[in-house]
Amino acid sequence: MKLIRTTKTRLLFHLGHWEAHLLLEVLNLYPCLPPAHHKLSKQPGVPEPEANQQLLDEALAEHRAENQKHLHALLADRRRFAPTEKGGRLSLPPAEVEWVLQVLNDIRVGSWVLLGSPEAIPAKLNAKSAPHFRAMEIAGYFEAQLLEALNGGA
Amino acid sequence: MAATATPEIKPGVVETTESKPKSGLEPGYVVVCWNDPVNFMDYVTHVFQVVFGWQRKKAEFHMLQVHEQGKSVLMRDSLEKAEHYVHQLQKYSLHATMERAE
Repeated sequence: MKLIRTTKTRLLFHLGHWEAHLLLEVLNLYPCLPPAHHKLSKQPGVPEPEANQQLLDEALAEHRAENQKHLHALLADRRRFAPTEKGGRLSLPPAEVEWVLQVLNDIRVGSWVLLGSPEAIPAKLNAKSAPHFRAMEIAGYFEAQLLEALNGGA
Repeated sequence: MAATATPEIKPGVVETTESKPKSGLEPGYVVVCWNDPVNFMDYVTHVFQVVFGWQRKKAEFHMLQVHEQGKSVLMRDSLEKAEHYVHQLQKYSLHATMERAE
C-alpha cells in the first residue's frame, strides 16, 4: 500500500493485488470487538454507574452502526475503492481516514480479545486462533500504512 | 486594557463560602488511558492528537506514560466532559475510563 498523491481533499493510495484482497477480507470482519468490551469506569465513584454504562454502550453501538454504513458505502463506490490492473486504488478524504482507522483498530483489538487478550504473541497457533491472529496482523499493517500517510510518509 | 474593580469591603461582615457537593459541572473526574499490548504507540499518539487537539509532543508524552507506567491521566473535567472524552477514546478502541478525582 503506497500513498501516491495527497491533496487538500483526498489521499490516494495504490494497493498491490494481495493488499487489495487482504484489505477487503479484513474490512469485512467489522465489527469485531465484543459490544460489552468497553467499561466507563474501573472504580466506584461515578454516579448512576449502570445507567451511564448503558448510555455509553448505546452510543458506541450507534457509532459502530454508522461506521458500518460508511464502510459498505466505501466498498461499493468505485470512485473510492476500485480494482486496477496492478491491484487496487483507494481514495479517502482525511476525515474518512479517521473512521477507517477506527474500523481497522476495532478489528485489531477485537481479534486480540478473541485470541484471549495475550500479553505477547502466542507461541503456538491452532486452527481456532490462527484466523484471529491473521486478522489482527493484517489490520495492524493497514493501520500503520494509514498513520504513515497521515504523518507525511509520501 | 479593562480596569480592575476594587472589591467592596464592609466592616464587620465576614463572607463565608460553603463547599458545595460535587455536581456534574465540577472538574471532579479524570479521564485515564490504560496500557494494553495491542494498540500501536503511533496510533495512541495520533488518537490523543485528534481527540484532545494536542501537539504531537504532548500526545507522545502521555502515550509514553501509558506505555511505561501502565496508565496516564489525560485530563480532569466535569462528569459530562469526562464521559464525552472517554466515549471519543473508546470509539478508537483505546482502553480509557473515567474515575473520580482524588
